[in-house]
Amino acid sequence: MTGSSDLELVELFQKGNETCFNELVRRYQEKIYWVARRFVNDHDQADDIVQEVFIKVYSALKDFRAESGVYTWLYRITVNVALNALRKQRIRDFVRIDEFFDTAGDEHEQPDSIVEKDEQQKLIEEAIAKLPEKQKAVFILRYYEELSYEEISAILKTSIGGLKANYFHAAKKIGEYVHRAS
Amino acid sequence: MFIVQAEHVKYDLLDYAANRLSIQEHDRVEEHLQNCLTCQNHYRELLSTENILKESHEHPPSPVYFTTILPRVRERLEQRRRPVRAYAEALTKVLLPLSVSAFLVLLVLRVPIDFSSESNQTDALQRVMKDLSADEMVQAVEGEYAGSSFTTYQDLSIAGVEEHLQGDRFLKAAVSKQIENEEIAEMDLEGMISDLSSDQVDQVLSKISERNAL
Repeated sequence: MTGSSDLELVELFQKGNETCFNELVRRYQEKIYWVARRFVNDHDQADDIVQEVFIKVYSALKDFRAESGVYTWLYRITVNVALNALRKQRIRDFVRIDEFFDTAGDEHEQPDSIVEKDEQQKLIEEAIAKLPEKQKAVFILRYYEELSYEEISAILKTSIGGLKANYFHAAKKIGEYVHRAS
Repeated sequence: MFIVQAEHVKYDLLDYAANRLSIQEHDRVEEHLQNCLTCQNHYRELLSTENILKESHEHPPSPVYFTTILPRVRERLEQRRRPVRAYAEALTKVLLPLSVSAFLVLLVLRVPIDFSSESNQTDALQRVMKDLSADEMVQAVEGEYAGSSFTTYQDLSIAGVEEHLQGDRFLKAAVSKQIENEEIAEMDLEGMISDLSSDQVDQVLSKISERNAL
């Protein structure tokens, strides 16, 4: 099973071999976690995204048609779920749920118990958080995931020229933010 | 005589600084940099950014964390398979997101919030929300729309809220409704926002943007 390609795993799953899904989770969980965490800067929210991504993957796997690579497809789902999580956060910020309900609570304000961030890292995360959605996605996929522009183009459905421009502007903004703040 | 300026390489400079270009691309960028002040300036900036990014250190979660993902995903998948009462399922999947969307749009469109004043904003929202549990919102929306001809979220959010709902009537109905279904008693607005679909999230955000632009 561990020697099988992604596509072989999907095909076996589609034929009823449930355990192939487990192998896909094991294979991609770390990558998906890091993409998610770089989008939301928070371990718990990243964990929620990882869970949601794999639930969606499980539901959609039987219909996967290999029009794109499995990992391209997984990245696309992850980016969409992460962006949706950020948009929901904007709604929460608008209605200021935290002020009225205990549930969403203080966890965003508390120091992350799992991850202690140094100052420089914190500035970078703040800078990335301020980027427009597209630039953020391109920067995370290109700089951290080291995907090629062709792969990112397949994930985000954007031209390579557009991606390069997004990457350049994202890097410039991050640099400017960090230098201004430090 | 024209001197043709070679195409600028600024979009490749971070990759160049991070040493992620092919040999041919690397040479092309290097050659261009020797003669282009604009790109040299960009490069200096991006090299500095690359150094900062390279030196920064992300702290990973405990390795144990990654062993917990699969069991929890499996558990959630298993939960989804368990039979639930049709009413509760419909409520969760359809009415709940619908309700919170309508409620949020109502907030955006109807609640007289003065954004110039922080305290006014807080007061207005508190008036709306302090007595209103999520369950009551669900019940109210369900009741409000039970006999209506509105069938889609779009109808509800725009036509429904704008033309057919009076804000006070809606809120009074919400508060006066009794919680009839214990299964949703624990749900709250946070949970309902989490259940919104992408389209619903975009609709609400678009209304928020419109509201903020006023």
